[in-house]
Amino acid sequence: MGDILGLIARRLGLGLVILFVISIIIFFMVELLPGDIAQAVLGQGATEDNLAALREQMGLNKPAIVRYLEWLGGAVTFDFGSSIVTGERVTTLIGERFMNTLFLAAYAAVIAVPFAIVLGVIVALLRNSIFDRVANVLTLTSISSPEFFLGYILILYFAVKWGMFPAISSLSQDMSLGELLYRTFLPALTLVLVVTAHMMRMTRAAIINLLASPYIEMARLKGAPPWKVIVKHALPNAWAPIINVVALNLAYLITGVVLVEVVFVYPGIGQALVDAVSKRDFPVVQACCLIFAATFILLNLAADVGAILTNPRLRHPK
Amino acid sequence: MSLFVITYYTLLLAASCLAAYFNKRSWFLLLFSLTLVSFIVGIVGGPSALQSIAIVAGLLALAGMVSFAFREFLVAIASHDLAKELRTAPLTAAFGMFIIFTYAIAGIFAPWIAPHGEAEVIASAFAPADGEMLLGADQLGRDIFSRIIYGTRNSVGLALAATLLAFIIGALAGLLAATKGGWFDQFMGRFADVIMSIPSLIFALLMLSIFGPHIHVIIIAVAVIYAPRVFRLTRAVAGNVVVMDYIEAAKLRGEGTWYLIRREILPNSTAPLVAEFGLEFCFVFLLVAGLSFLGLGIQPPTADWGSMVRENATLISFGDITPLIPAAAIALLTVSVNFVVDWMLHRSSGLKEK
Repeated sequence: MGDILGLIARRLGLGLVILFVISIIIFFMVELLPGDIAQAVLGQGATEDNLAALREQMGLNKPAIVRYLEWLGGAVTFDFGSSIVTGERVTTLIGERFMNTLFLAAYAAVIAVPFAIVLGVIVALLRNSIFDRVANVLTLTSISSPEFFLGYILILYFAVKWGMFPAISSLSQDMSLGELLYRTFLPALTLVLVVTAHMMRMTRAAIINLLASPYIEMARLKGAPPWKVIVKHALPNAWAPIINVVALNLAYLITGVVLVEVVFVYPGIGQALVDAVSKRDFPVVQACCLIFAATFILLNLAADVGAILTNPRLRHPK
Repeated sequence: MSLFVITYYTLLLAASCLAAYFNKRSWFLLLFSLTLVSFIVGIVGGPSALQSIAIVAGLLALAGMVSFAFREFLVAIASHDLAKELRTAPLTAAFGMFIIFTYAIAGIFAPWIAPHGEAEVIASAFAPADGEMLLGADQLGRDIFSRIIYGTRNSVGLALAATLLAFIIGALAGLLAATKGGWFDQFMGRFADVIMSIPSLIFALLMLSIFGPHIHVIIIAVAVIYAPRVFRLTRAVAGNVVVMDYIEAAKLRGEGTWYLIRREILPNSTAPLVAEFGLEFCFVFLLVAGLSFLGLGIQPPTADWGSMVRENATLISFGDITPLIPAAAIALLTVSVNFVVDWMLHRSSGLKEK
């Protein structure tokens, strides 16, 4: 057991190093601005006094390294400074929104993961039949469509034509869980459609890859019934690729969530990021980017660890 | 029971019986399950739902016929070797090629095809469609149809330029890393790891917030984001080629790195790289469309599919599908490229799933 923990610790360390490098990129990219942040915020018409005052207020007179360390120190304790535009604390600005986004992603994941895996296994078993081909074309179409296309189609039918679900997800604190699930159904469904398609294709590929291996052939030849071949022989070895597929697609959800939040005016962190980008509110942009990148790395890490846990061969690297 | 419903079920059942009679098992299964689904859909949605199914089936049949004809056309005009390859293309790939061809025509000849100018205001805001304007007017009274045609040129052109740049950077770095090896290889690999662990849309948003949404910024940002993916693949493909004996021989002959890359490695790794180009184009195209949907792509008044969807989205709440047409155009092109890439991958790897 000790070597597994060591391996996981090493992966975690690697993830932390990558996150550290990313924080450097995110911070110092803003430094690449022609002029500096104060100039960018106040525009060309700013007087020298105004610029100097803003520089003083934002601490721009200190060297970049010092500011970076201060920013990083704050970020570790979830303190990202305050917004340039409104002057609010970034944490209060995006804290609740982050929770909303997590809720939406979890909602989509809870539906999509079992659905996609079951469908993926079925399609893998029916491979090269006409159903497989139809599923192939459908999933390909779903992957190739921009998220906002799927989102607006769902709005057009479910909200406008049939009036079954609200088109805009306005949330409030005192909503019951059922109400919340109902209000956020369409954005969640959009994410489910995109992610299911990805996951189904990857699960199908993983299972087919597995079914081609000699020991499955052996199980078939000795006369084991097909369901037993799948459940007892194939599935235990399929967990590793499936866990990988799930984690990768959850990471994919993070990018998809930005567009879906904008389509459905969902009060999440993606919407906050897009607003901040168009207002050039750098502290908010930096905070959102760091949060997204950290989640992304965490999920990839989970995929690695899951693969190691389910596949003993990975524990002994050659 | 209207005449349409009776004809619908008669045709469907007759087709299933024919398929069963001629032992086309998969066709029979498809047609008969469609019949069963139609029962349920017909009861829930009435004849209008059946009509939509019939229309979709008709469109699919039309697409199939067009692809078949287009494939035969290509086979007829291509040279002997190419014709042999084309004959093996599945209908989906032929369909993809047909769509790409159409988009290319629309993009290149946009000023001659579009009835009105790109930014020309010709009617009142959201004017309905008439003989003059095929799809009506947008929020400023510009002809939507003309803007879609011009959008082909702008959206696809931008994505193509970004993909090309990403490809040149990534492939060059990958080939160099594979031939040189050593610390350069290590450094580039780690660097690619870092870039790839930032979600692409987020990274693009970060760069656009800093440098502003200009065309050259978008192209460079997208290239920086996607070059590491190209680098990974090129490095892997070229890595397999570099260990071959003929490379060893060329090295012993005293050939330089540039000669090795150009004359020995590149010709032996083109097939996967071409397929990768198609795939990358799809990703880039979707990313750029997403950015312009968020209002951070090509700036107005230049017509662009992503921003057109956003600008006219209010029409959707009145049950109008016009704003979805540019989005559908994006999806159609991406699907088509994917179809063609699928076929090319299948052909180049000789991969036959059993």
